[in-house]
Amino acid sequence: MSGDAFISIRGLEKSFPSNDGLVRAVRKFDLDVVENEFVVLLGPSGCGKSTLLNIVAGLDSPDSGTVTFEGSPGVSALGRVGYMQQKDLLLPWRTVLDNAILGLELHGMPRRQARTRALELTEFFGLKGYESQYPYALSGGMKQRAAFLRTMLMDQEIVLLDEPFGALDALTRVQMQEWLLQLWDSLRKTIVLITHDMDEAILLSDRVYVLTHRPGRVTMVLDVDLPRPRSYEQVTEPSFARLKSRLLEPLREQKPKEAQGLAGKEGL
Amino acid sequence: MKDPTGEYASGHRGQGRIGSTLSKLRSWAAPVTILLGIVVLWELGVQVWDIPKWQLPSPSEIGQELASSRSLLLEHMLVTLEEIVLGFIAALASGLVLATAIAYSRILERSVYPIVIASQTVPIIAIAPLLLIWVGYGIAPKVIVVALICFYPIAVNTVDGLKAVDPDMVNMMKTLGASRWQVFTKLQMPTAMPYMFSGIKVGISVSVIAAVIGEWVGASAGLGYLITYSQPLFLTARVFAAIVVLSAMGISLFVLASVVERMMLPWYYTEKRANSIERM
Repeated sequence: MSGDAFISIRGLEKSFPSNDGLVRAVRKFDLDVVENEFVVLLGPSGCGKSTLLNIVAGLDSPDSGTVTFEGSPGVSALGRVGYMQQKDLLLPWRTVLDNAILGLELHGMPRRQARTRALELTEFFGLKGYESQYPYALSGGMKQRAAFLRTMLMDQEIVLLDEPFGALDALTRVQMQEWLLQLWDSLRKTIVLITHDMDEAILLSDRVYVLTHRPGRVTMVLDVDLPRPRSYEQVTEPSFARLKSRLLEPLREQKPKEAQGLAGKEGL
Repeated sequence: MKDPTGEYASGHRGQGRIGSTLSKLRSWAAPVTILLGIVVLWELGVQVWDIPKWQLPSPSEIGQELASSRSLLLEHMLVTLEEIVLGFIAALASGLVLATAIAYSRILERSVYPIVIASQTVPIIAIAPLLLIWVGYGIAPKVIVVALICFYPIAVNTVDGLKAVDPDMVNMMKTLGASRWQVFTKLQMPTAMPYMFSGIKVGISVSVIAAVIGEWVGASAGLGYLITYSQPLFLTARVFAAIVVLSAMGISLFVLASVVERMMLPWYYTEKRANSIERM
């Protein structure tokens, strides 16, 4: 597997200074992602998941360890890796369409040309008829899809998703998950998605990495061999339940550490 | 309209044009009524107690004065307006340049910004006579007083706006490949716009006062000069007429700034309105 790894992370370590000394966010972290693979990192709040993605995206640098893309280490991932966060981060002064083309515009594409390209995709992203609206007028799901469109228009091979549906209500979340499955089937990108939702992890991924509580470390790797194309109905099937019970084992072994109140510090 | 995930989008709120015009009229009704009430009481009071015109002219006498010396008032108003416009433009240009430099450079933020803030404690009215010594009696000292007073709210608000950027937004821009300059022009500057306009509206409201201060210290024209000239002659109605014109100027300039703001930031006002409807 590591031979043709698309993203390869070796021995990653990251700590942050805090009031009670150094907090180790990520410890001895290894990860391999193959081209066109959908990988999910599953872990509790405060396990350093966001820290990890920030490093992979090139926004932060590790204390030690390496991140390699397509075999070339040390190349900055900024602008080469698509990254979408839980917050939609749409610019309030731009219409939906102009938000979507932001990345293309930053790379010097003329607005008119970028808009034409975005307009071809608004239907699939469920934004048709809303292109000239400002973000405040959209529902949560639509805002998130507009942010998706902005990320996808960059046409990068690797897309990182940091709890993209975390801020949505349960029903919308299911609809968005099915929509993302469709999107992935048609675009075939390499996706790394962070979540703490087990159903989401199994439903979407080829492989699930289970992370421990901070400092984040991989305790289990689960291959998800459910047939594709998938749909939300599979959640009730026995094969799905078997996978879920295997995921529960390592999570149950971890002692609940809620008392430390780390939940709010995940963004670190 | 229903979008593919089955949610209803929440656009097109509000009750339409007629409803919003009515509610706007209603919001103006109360202050206008109070103001009219004061004017009526003033008029009655002057007549009942037979107060002489040189002590306190009645509103109708002020109205007569406005009409009879309108060409005089207009002549002096244009002088004051010129001082305000030039001073305000100078304040806007220097305020924006300095705010940009402070927001862009940490060294400037640490070295220059505290001085800018401290400078506000210097009473401009005390500096104005010195300006006469330095730059003479022409329009220059008035323009400088206006600029000094308008500069501060514009610069400070714009600095705050440029720094009010959501760090997650900055990260988002970076992952899309934005350069530092692009982060500045496409994220920080639009974020700062509503703040900058707050500063402009505060600045333009006090610019009229600033021009009058400049003229009081030494001038040969302008509404402030007209007041200092008319007062010892007990032309009290003319003093009031000049005050009315000055207030009207201040209000007009403020309204003008608000109109420009609305034209430049359509998203900001629709967003605010949508939020306030949600709160109701």
